[in-house]
Amino acid sequence: MSIQFKSITELRAMLDDKLISPLELVQESHHLADKFKELNCFITMDEDLSKKKARTIDLGKENNSFLLGIPLAQKDLFCTQDLRTTCASKILSNFIPPYTATAVEKLEDSGSITIGKTNMDEFAMGSSNETSYFGNVHNPWKKGYVPGGSSGGSAAAVAAGIVPAATGTDTGGSIRQPAAHCGITGLKPTYGRISRWGMIAFASSLDQAGPLARTAEDCAVILSSMSGHDPKDTTSLNVEVPDFLSKLNYPIKGLKIGIIKEFDLSDLDKEVQTRFEESKKVYEKLGAEFVDVSLPNISASVPTYYSIAPAECSSNLSRFDGVRFGHRAENTDDLNDLYIKSRSEGFGDEVKRRILIGTYALSAGYYDAYYKKAQQVRRLIKNDFDLVFESVDILMTPTSPSTAFEFGSKGAQNPVELYLEDLFTISSNLAGLPAMSIPHGQVNSLPVGLQLIGNFLREDQLLNAAHIFQQNTDFHLAKPSMEDFK
Amino acid sequence: MDQETVSTICYLARLKIDQTKSEKIQNDLETIIELISGLQSIDTSNIKPLYSPLEMTALTHEDEEKSDNKKEKFLENAPASNDDYFLVPRVVE
Amino acid sequence: MIWETVIGLETHVQLSTKTKLFSRASTAFGASPNTNVNLVDCGLPGVLPSVNKEAFYKAIRFGIAIGAQINQTSIFDRKNYFYADLPKGYQITQMDLPIVLGGSIEIITDDSSKTINITRAHLEEDAGKSIHDEYDGFSAIDLNRAGTPLLEIVSEPEISSAKEAVAYMKAMHQLVTYLDVSDGNMAQGSLRCDANVSIRKKGNKELGTRTEIKNINSFKFIEKAINYEVKRQIKILENGEKVTQETRLYDSVKDETRPMRSKEFANDYRYFPEPDLLPVVISNEEMQTIKDEFPELPKEKENRYIKEFNLSAYDAQIIASSKSMADFFEDAAKKTTNYSLLSNWLIGDISAFLNKEMIEIHESKLNSDNVAMLINRIDDQTISGKIGKSIFEEMWVSGSSPDEIIESQGLKQISDDGAIEEIIMTVIRDNPDQVEAYLGGKDKLFGFFVGQVMKLTEGKANPQAVNKILKEQLKK
Repeated sequence: MSIQFKSITELRAMLDDKLISPLELVQESHHLADKFKELNCFITMDEDLSKKKARTIDLGKENNSFLLGIPLAQKDLFCTQDLRTTCASKILSNFIPPYTATAVEKLEDSGSITIGKTNMDEFAMGSSNETSYFGNVHNPWKKGYVPGGSSGGSAAAVAAGIVPAATGTDTGGSIRQPAAHCGITGLKPTYGRISRWGMIAFASSLDQAGPLARTAEDCAVILSSMSGHDPKDTTSLNVEVPDFLSKLNYPIKGLKIGIIKEFDLSDLDKEVQTRFEESKKVYEKLGAEFVDVSLPNISASVPTYYSIAPAECSSNLSRFDGVRFGHRAENTDDLNDLYIKSRSEGFGDEVKRRILIGTYALSAGYYDAYYKKAQQVRRLIKNDFDLVFESVDILMTPTSPSTAFEFGSKGAQNPVELYLEDLFTISSNLAGLPAMSIPHGQVNSLPVGLQLIGNFLREDQLLNAAHIFQQNTDFHLAKPSMEDFK
Repeated sequence: MDQETVSTICYLARLKIDQTKSEKIQNDLETIIELISGLQSIDTSNIKPLYSPLEMTALTHEDEEKSDNKKEKFLENAPASNDDYFLVPRVVE
Repeated sequence: MIWETVIGLETHVQLSTKTKLFSRASTAFGASPNTNVNLVDCGLPGVLPSVNKEAFYKAIRFGIAIGAQINQTSIFDRKNYFYADLPKGYQITQMDLPIVLGGSIEIITDDSSKTINITRAHLEEDAGKSIHDEYDGFSAIDLNRAGTPLLEIVSEPEISSAKEAVAYMKAMHQLVTYLDVSDGNMAQGSLRCDANVSIRKKGNKELGTRTEIKNINSFKFIEKAINYEVKRQIKILENGEKVTQETRLYDSVKDETRPMRSKEFANDYRYFPEPDLLPVVISNEEMQTIKDEFPELPKEKENRYIKEFNLSAYDAQIIASSKSMADFFEDAAKKTTNYSLLSNWLIGDISAFLNKEMIEIHESKLNSDNVAMLINRIDDQTISGKIGKSIFEEMWVSGSSPDEIIESQGLKQISDDGAIEEIIMTVIRDNPDQVEAYLGGKDKLFGFFVGQVMKLTEGKANPQAVNKILKEQLKK
């Protein structure tokens, strides 16, 4: 029985009805991964251990977890004990972590099985998955097109139906944008909802883990499992984790949805605009009310982000020095030479660019003008959100200004061109707010995503709004033909 | 951003830019600096920087040992080590 | 030309917490290499710091003791630089908002006292250790020390001689050990300092160019390093040359300072707020608890010793000056009642032995039970003071108890009047000439008779009894 394109909910039913065993399910996942190898969505597979775990699963017990026996893929940025973790970088191409990230540990404690580690932009820096040391990932909808990034491998693996869901991380849109480009559902939770312990840091004050899945319902399942306070991460929130599943079906009549005035959609592709207007109509029919709102500083999000994220990254990536782990250059004269050669050989161009920008933004004489200034503007942006959420429940924007594009077509001449891909997604990272992307149709046979931004810790409202949308539309059920990859 | 600034920044970051790419990187950096310089026009007087989205305080732990030492695995991951230490080219102080 | 020396000290105090500042690995000294290292201390990808509050309590205790302002909200910053024993490529420290601001320390040199103002004291993590000379062509990295909490205490440049610098460090040592903030062990690096030294013409307001001597870890080296550096700078200035601002190392073998090669590049540390740590806040309740449980300081102890144990002001001051000695005294004082004899011993023989080996009493083989027992045996005349000294020497070496030594060596004092009288009679009988001379007015000969008695009893006769009976017998 094929498991391709099945959601967690569907696979759960198949397992419970004994239509498939956990081992068969895991084997089938590996089989699909192998069949669509050309997608290049995995960096490392964990075939032996995943099968071994599947064999030990006992479905006969009462009160089994919803995730028991469900195969998942983890972005290769989460440390997994004894399983190579590369962050898609040459510098970590041989790194075997001696511990497992809390988010992954929680998913595995819920009975899910990690089948492998997914490809991504190197150190999560990129919006197209083109910066990976392990090569480009194809968009399952169209060969030679990007899946988005940085969680491109996870998005492609889910869109291709290899696994029902995968983990991602989102620093400026890295879950939502690839979810949009691949036609699946992705959620970036509130900053602090999920522990960052074991997540290889890009920008500490912006990074947040989250699920990429076929439906909002599946995202709720994964989120419930991944969330919770972790004493090992002082920035993880010590708040109770709500039962996200139980709130999915609340009626959304009267839900107040804000449309951000400052985002001028008339610049976008006509079809993208049309999709957005159509989705508004869907929500209107379901009883939601639309309100125009103003976030006066939101247009400063991109420069704010590109001051803060590189600064934090320049420091976070200092530990990759060739001393205790990772790539070390050969034939070095002295310690300094070792640092310079190891790091220059180990990091790709985009990572180097960001480290250099960040180093510059923090250096003497520039700190106030760039880094501190950006953190001040960040507060202005957050204040704007705080004010707006006094009058609306959620905000709605397109996830990305465009659909997936061809390899090499953006950013090669000017990196800023690619940075503008993050225009709609970045502000929720700056403010720490939850946001998700759901598929809402296609333009030129490529998926388009709709972004919903929620108030602090109100993932329940987002998931509810997304789930009701998916109950009343079938955009999320669209599947790529995969003909290019057979 | 002049050549000298680029080389100082490169040294601070312990990175070396390939000769063939140096002009491109310098241009890229200039473009990005131009992008982020856009912030200068925003009035932020009396605005406190927001360094973390969580304006809360850290939880702390007791002063009790809880070891997760994995010396052998730590040293195994190191590019150069002996039974006890990580090794680097000799440093003269 | 009259030159004036200006010194500012940056003292690094390792706080005596059980675990590290941002991880729960042990801080115990002397563990086998790279075993007191958690994932966090190793700086592995994906790890995050968590916070050990005890270090904050200790830092605050220090701040209160020097009369400083305490910042109850602690914000941390990253100081970015590359070094082999700095695992993350940055050190977590406090740049903008130190936990302790201001305050002062009283130092005493040659009986005059001086107040040195403290600029600030902040919490930070220590680095690991590099071993440069044991492996051919390699430096070996041990991360056991990485992450140990440090309090870096920065003084104002108000110290004007090597002697004052030593006095400052001694005062610091006394304070941090008294407060139980640090074990103060300089040989193990728990207390070390960097000295900023500059020279100016006497009367000049402006400071001269300074050099920084790194990582000095003994009182002796502080004095020698600064003296060397002062002479070196004066020579440069007298030759009409200029002092270069640089970091230098003190080489104790050659007794000289030299520029540090590994720090040759001027660094830009790119400080910024540590995004992995939320601010750490010490509540008013916690502050109150720290104040309520504040340890007794030397001056308070001194006064209490005078009142409670009837010690002389001099004795009380000496015993209270060292935390180690004071603790020992108080323990022993619970087991004996002759406090003045106890303090005589501690200040006299015991201190002489300690000074000779340059150790503190808690590092010796002595314990308060044994020393109290020794005092009691002298006090109850089981042994004489003189025998006491030879027993003490044995205790010092073996750590045995006085009773064991008295027993095994048969050193018990003869206090039985009959037995002593018998011996005295023998001495009188054997020395008729001296008896005659004594009776004829040569009083000084009394000591001769005592000596003879002691010789026959191998020093074990009770001296008071000997005196008394001898006088009676000689009169007869």
